[in-house]
Amino acid sequence: MGLGSLASRALRSSSSSRVLSTNPRYNLIRTIVSTPELHKPEAATEAASEPDLPKRTPIAGARVHFPNPDDVIEVFVDGYPVKIPKGMTVLQACSVAGVDIPRFCYHDRLSIAGNCRMCLVEVEKSPKPVASCAMPALPGMKIKTDTPIAKKAREGVMEFLLMNHPLDCPICDQGGECDLQDQSMAFGSDRGRFTETKRSVVDKNLGPLVKTVMTRCIQCTRCVRFASEIAGVQDLGMLGRGSGEEIGTYVEKLMTSELSGNVIDICPVGALTSKPFAFKARNWELKGTETIDVTDAVGSNIRIDSRGPEVMRIVPRLNEDINEEWISDKTRFCYDGLKRQRLSDPMIRGADGHFKPVSWRDALAVVAEVLHQVKPEEIVGVAGKLSDAESMMSLKDFLNRMGSNNIWCEGNGKYLDADLRSGYLMNTSISGLEKADCFLLVGTQPRVEAVMVNARIRKTVRATKAKVGYIGPPTDFNYDHDHLGTTPETLAAILDGNHPFSAALSTAKNPAIIIGAGIFDRQDTAAILSLLNSLSAKFKNLITPEWNGLNVLLLNAAQAAALDLGLIPESDSGMESAKFVYLMGADDTNLDDLPKDAFVVYQGHHGDKGVYRANVIFPSTVFSEKEGTYENTEGCVQQTVPAVPTVGDAREDWKIIRALSEVCGVRLPYDSISGVRSRIKNVAPNLLRVDEREAAVFSGLLKPEGSGKVSAVPFGVTVENFYMTDAITRASKIMAQCSALLAKK
Amino acid sequence: MAFAMRVKVPPNSANLQEARHRTFDFFRAACRSIPSIMDIYNLYDVVNPSELRSTIAAQIRKNAHITNPKVIDMLLFKGMEELSNITEHAKQRHHIIGQYVVGNKGLVQDVDTKDEGLSPFLKNFYNSNY
Ligand code: SF4
Ligand code: FES
Repeated sequence: MGLGSLASRALRSSSSSRVLSTNPRYNLIRTIVSTPELHKPEAATEAASEPDLPKRTPIAGARVHFPNPDDVIEVFVDGYPVKIPKGMTVLQACSVAGVDIPRFCYHDRLSIAGNCRMCLVEVEKSPKPVASCAMPALPGMKIKTDTPIAKKAREGVMEFLLMNHPLDCPICDQGGECDLQDQSMAFGSDRGRFTETKRSVVDKNLGPLVKTVMTRCIQCTRCVRFASEIAGVQDLGMLGRGSGEEIGTYVEKLMTSELSGNVIDICPVGALTSKPFAFKARNWELKGTETIDVTDAVGSNIRIDSRGPEVMRIVPRLNEDINEEWISDKTRFCYDGLKRQRLSDPMIRGADGHFKPVSWRDALAVVAEVLHQVKPEEIVGVAGKLSDAESMMSLKDFLNRMGSNNIWCEGNGKYLDADLRSGYLMNTSISGLEKADCFLLVGTQPRVEAVMVNARIRKTVRATKAKVGYIGPPTDFNYDHDHLGTTPETLAAILDGNHPFSAALSTAKNPAIIIGAGIFDRQDTAAILSLLNSLSAKFKNLITPEWNGLNVLLLNAAQAAALDLGLIPESDSGMESAKFVYLMGADDTNLDDLPKDAFVVYQGHHGDKGVYRANVIFPSTVFSEKEGTYENTEGCVQQTVPAVPTVGDAREDWKIIRALSEVCGVRLPYDSISGVRSRIKNVAPNLLRVDEREAAVFSGLLKPEGSGKVSAVPFGVTVENFYMTDAITRASKIMAQCSALLAKK
Repeated sequence: MAFAMRVKVPPNSANLQEARHRTFDFFRAACRSIPSIMDIYNLYDVVNPSELRSTIAAQIRKNAHITNPKVIDMLLFKGMEELSNITEHAKQRHHIIGQYVVGNKGLVQDVDTKDEGLSPFLKNFYNSNY
């Protein structure tokens, strides 16, 4: 929030003024400095007429767009003129002018409550200080943020807030990053006058994720507004009045939202803190690593806070295009899975069926020997959902050199065509969804598949009342929607035009169709995609030069990059005839068809499902320990950054494959990660443009018309349990508790 | 207390000649104490005096490139302190064996030929992830 810097600035400015008045040496220097204005009196008067103001930069990169030039008004903040659009509040005007106003209840992404009164400023000609967050700026307003009245008002507010706030900062998890702490340092009085007993409030049970210490609450209602506006659950509320005011769930109830962890970040004090993180570490002893999340295909920006070799917590990072400033509970709390069930040594399954730890040298030699005994067409490689682009590239290169081209990535199905990027990306882009005015969700439950995408849709629906149609099994939504049907036939009906939703779709300005990646596993994938294609031919507003409303919502972090790299199976009968299977972190691949005598190598970081069938285990690293490239569902390429060292004898994925290739005698030509990347450059150059969204050049799916008929099989539920979708989350104890307590039955 | 009394910092060497001379003195002193060191730490079955002598010489040669008399004095001082620690029996047997008999190559030395012909990448891979 930048309030720490604000506090230090306030301290700094007061100390420098003291220096000015008390340090004679400083004054001496001032007199020696020769200024030309002093020699020319007329120039001096000219200069004096202009206010002598330091140049100011807007707070936190605040920028203003003027949608309409007529709506520009000018206000003066501490005598400094700023131009702002009409309708901005006084607080926003101040932040454009570079003045950070202290606040508790105001939050950029929530509605305005105006109940903490910390943001009081003085406005000329107004009898009392005004709450700047709730007061619209008027033309010519003269705002004063640094006057004795404003300071006194803040001091008074602080005194009232601290009256009932417990003095338990030494044992409070928020200590060190607490707005109340910072602001009482900067604006508070140095003593209190309160001698009565403090009030205390009963703690509420909000579930396994959020710990409450309600006595610390300052009733800013940010959490209540977050729950009802962003998360879309009406679980939290304000009870009682006056000093009996409490935040709570109205009835004895847990907070069931996939975004509930974010109340920890928005609570300005330590009333809502993370339960798994409670008393584990103090925030100033943590090392922050800015990286990305891989538990879904959104690639939320996160910061991993670690202490030594241990990941202590995960918090969101601001990225307006992807996750704004929120992350899902799975992203935030899956971190304890990073240290459970880890594979730390290479292992070979002995004759008795038990795994024996061996050296890397022996493990690689065994695999190389088996590889040389099977025929090239009997080799199969599967990349898991969490694989990075580098390791998928080397896996593909390696198996190609062994003569096989049967490599695919989990979740991409057999029937997908990777020729056109627009056929598997979210072409509208996640932030672009805000412009849509009509949504059609086909076989996807965004609330569990991609929480941040769902939050965008909810934001749009709330802001513009956009219509949402849904085809798929009954599921939970946190916004208004029409359940149109459960099978692909409904889609055909919409295409024919005899469905009521066709009218909505055709009159919309920016319609968006979102298809879930669950359809990739269906027999009729091609038919459904061609149906959508005809849909875009029929509804001309779906794809226009400025708008592309055909979207695929992917499920896993690895999918998009895998398709970009061309990890597409060559033959349909991959598993039935395989004699050698290389599972690179693939745990959700169905191995039932696999012949009994097939040799399975599992390279992965967790002892998860894939290990049960494996003959050899190669331990590898998780996303918090390696540098890897991931592409999210909208085609934005991002990289993870290693935050903690690897466990045991594990190696990075691409290195294992590179080493194996040398032992097999088909040495891959790269020795470093940059070498792998230059190889990727030849295959998919977009994967090297990090932090950029590479839109698909060709819009439309361009599929041969009518390839097969859609079946009447209803769309399935793709994500059974939101909290446990991959090896990391399945190993996490917190996620297990969540699924036991919160998952919708 | 006894050591503390004896620690006396000699005046700096005036030039390289003098520093060189002191180094030889130190080497001789070290060599002279080898029999008693063998005795104190019971090293007869692991090492013989000539090996220890060459270890000491190697330690000194490691810094042969240094020409600044002040630095040489400092290193000599450290060496003398180490020597006095050893002869005072301020160390234990495994310290001596670890530092001066086995050396920093470690006890288990892989002198196999199977790594020959491997790329530097693979050798490093077998060693560690980094
Ligand atoms: S719990 Fe935190 S966010 Fe909620 S009202 Fe209290 S102080 Fe504000
Ligand atoms: S921030 Fe303005 S009243 Fe709370």
